[in-house]
Amino acid sequence: MESSLLAQAETVIARARTGDPEALGALYRAFESPVYNLARRICRTSEDAEDVLQETFFEVCRSIGRYREEGSLWGWIRTIAASKALMRIRRNKYRDTDELNDQVMGRRQEDSHLRMDLEAALERLSETSRAVVWLHDVEGYTHDEIGAMMGKTASFSKSQLARAHSRLRQWLGEEVA
Amino acid sequence: MNHLSMESLLSLREPGREPGTATAQEHLHQCPQCQAELERLHQRVARLKALPALRPGRDRWPETAARYRAERARRRTRLAGFTGLGGLAAAASVALVLSLGRPTPSADPTTEQLQEAMVRSQALETALGAYNPDGRVLDGRTARMAQELEDRIARVDRELEATELLRQQARDQELLRLWRERVGLLDALVDVHVTRASNAGL
Repeated sequence: MESSLLAQAETVIARARTGDPEALGALYRAFESPVYNLARRICRTSEDAEDVLQETFFEVCRSIGRYREEGSLWGWIRTIAASKALMRIRRNKYRDTDELNDQVMGRRQEDSHLRMDLEAALERLSETSRAVVWLHDVEGYTHDEIGAMMGKTASFSKSQLARAHSRLRQWLGEEVA
Repeated sequence: MNHLSMESLLSLREPGREPGTATAQEHLHQCPQCQAELERLHQRVARLKALPALRPGRDRWPETAARYRAERARRRTRLAGFTGLGGLAAAASVALVLSLGRPTPSADPTTEQLQEAMVRSQALETALGAYNPDGRVLDGRTARMAQELEDRIARVDRELEATELLRQQARDQELLRLWRERVGLLDALVDVHVTRASNAGL
């Protein structure tokens, strides 16, 4: 969050609630980067992430009147962004398997010999696994929260995370000797 | 020796939050390989957190703001449309009253019911206007319900306009059906805004 906005957050939020375009624009500028980063880490393409960014702020503009200030503004916006990103990957589900990517890319046989960097390995995970890794390990959501956002159980989130870490370990060449 | 699974290691990572079993803790304590694996897990997560922030390639605010402005304008137009159709209903009611005042061979029950529906619709719109729903804060569920009802009312309004193309008898029946539907939807909308009923059963 930009420090200038932090200093006058209450005023900006109050103005944004009345639909003031300048205040809504200030909110966008303050949170554009973290929202895009979260969306891009979850979604497969930058186009999808940009769409999520737009969807998120459209929702923020429509719903800022309903923000109760019970948690942080970033926490509220982040939950909207995570939901929009998960909605996007649900729409893209047909391509959401590591196995499919492996077959298409013909790399399965080479896995044990590859040492990928973390960015590439993260990118290679299925969208669902990547979303769970990012939301749990980086954003700090619990398995219960992730399960609820995905319309699944906490166990689903846990097993996705374990599967994702096993694959990351393999792709990063971190196998224990 | 069976080493800890990834799921067990993940549970052990956050004692208290994701409690591992005592057996797993005991194994970890005695197994250098699992200790190394847990350490790698910690490092991997630390590296994930340290990945550089990605930024959008282009500014999406102008599009977002334009879309929001368009939606606000559409919403205002729709609410103004309610009032406009309210006026239409009033005018139509007067015409119907005048028509009913004339001696006719047999009073048409459809006409009376139609008038009744129009008057009710007008009363509900007045109630809704007095409540000023646009100036109020709604929770997400209520807002979605209101939005859906407004969309359905807008659809009925379009159908009402289209009845002009029908023949007289068919038109009266269709008008009655549509005005009744409109009254039902307005009733639900007033209910959503005023009582914020959570179980309108959409």
